[in-house]
Amino acid sequence: MSRSLEEILFAAPGLRARAVTKAVSAAAAALLLLLAVVIVWQFHSAGQLEAPYWEFFAWATTWSFLAKGLLGTLASSAMAAVISLALGLVLLLGRLSRLRLLRWPSIAVIEFLRGTPTLLLIYVCFLVLPSVGIKLSTYWMLTLPIGLSTAAVVAEVYRAGVLAVPRGQTDAARSLGLTEAQVFFFIVFPQALRYIIPALVAQLVIVVKDTTFGYVVTYGELMQNAKVLIANYHSLVPVYLIVAALYCLVNYGISKASQRLGRPMH
Amino acid sequence: MADHGPAFWQALLLTWKLTLVSFVPGVLLGVLVAVLRLLPLPPLRWALSVYVEIFRNIPSVALLIFIVFALPDLNIVIDYEPSVILTLTLVCSAFTADYLRAGINTIPGSQIEAALSLGMRPLQIVSAVVLPQALRSVVQPMTSLLIALMLSTSLASQLPFPGRELTALVSKIANDSALGIAAFAVAATMYVVTGLLIAWAGAVLEKKVRILR
Repeated sequence: MSRSLEEILFAAPGLRARAVTKAVSAAAAALLLLLAVVIVWQFHSAGQLEAPYWEFFAWATTWSFLAKGLLGTLASSAMAAVISLALGLVLLLGRLSRLRLLRWPSIAVIEFLRGTPTLLLIYVCFLVLPSVGIKLSTYWMLTLPIGLSTAAVVAEVYRAGVLAVPRGQTDAARSLGLTEAQVFFFIVFPQALRYIIPALVAQLVIVVKDTTFGYVVTYGELMQNAKVLIANYHSLVPVYLIVAALYCLVNYGISKASQRLGRPMH
Repeated sequence: MADHGPAFWQALLLTWKLTLVSFVPGVLLGVLVAVLRLLPLPPLRWALSVYVEIFRNIPSVALLIFIVFALPDLNIVIDYEPSVILTLTLVCSAFTADYLRAGINTIPGSQIEAALSLGMRPLQIVSAVVLPQALRSVVQPMTSLLIALMLSTSLASQLPFPGRELTALVSKIANDSALGIAAFAVAATMYVVTGLLIAWAGAVLEKKVRILR
């Protein structure tokens, strides 16, 4: 295995350089420790370390409520992922179509959904649609916009995958007498999927992040449940810290999984 | 709808401003983090890895809410607009550091060996050999990051700013009148056009600076 760049860069330092490195290393560690102490001290002097702010984390009800919120987050994310994978495929087929009548509208829809903030789409479902008589549940007010804007991104990811499949595959399949649809669904798309699975999984991180907007429409996901906890126990800092840590853990897990999938399969 | 014309231009300008003032320091901070992570100082490397993972994985809204509503309980009060900028800067810096790391990894080790054998010092190599090439190779992801950051300025609509950016303006118009759809269409067009402009500028820059290997 080849060495990493920094290993080469700082390889075989002299005795003096090694001593300097060690000293600076120790100083950095001390500085970081000092920073941690300052943060803890800030918590302490603001009274945030006192028991009433933290004791309800010892109760099972708190955690089951947070778990319910996390479940709401995952339920919305999963549905948004399903919508985006399916709709993304439809948009991709339109995008790759030879008919201008299909291709141009698909490009327009993709650019439009990709180019507008998810939050703006959520506001449309939340504020604008009810005024024209369309009433969605809070779950759909959150999930639908996320699914739509992710679908456009997924369509582009699919396209990158399809373009990465060698042309010879298409030519060979055609010369075997497969129809255009067979060529796409049995030859090109399955291979494209293998290239882009890491990118698709990484997209899931963005979906999970977007569900944080659930509190805008008061859908019971993690952030919304955190707000309820705060209202009940008047404990802002600890609850937000724990919730932020939960989000980081979930997304870190997904990122790591996508990196693992990204390793070559041979 | 025509009465809202000036408001939309102001909102667009605020969106652009928020994007720029968080992108520039975010990138600078990201470059600094990426360089510091190269140094052979294990505690620093560890702390910066934690920094990058936290701000890459935390939802921006959660970070913004923490800065605005939780930090005052720790006796740290930051005004609304700086809070949005700080949130976006931190997130931007983490992604920049991550992309640069990937860019740095594309540089062949033999170049470093060659530079060392010329007698260059490690930090000289970083600034003269590693960084220029790494920066050139990350134009595309940085363009996407800038677009994502521009869209993320919609977060500002969650705070009671005196000025309104595009998303806040749409939600206000939709609340006050029946012009919601029209307002949405205008704002969406402004976002899409801005995004396409950034993508175009990124593509031009990419063509200019890319390294053909």
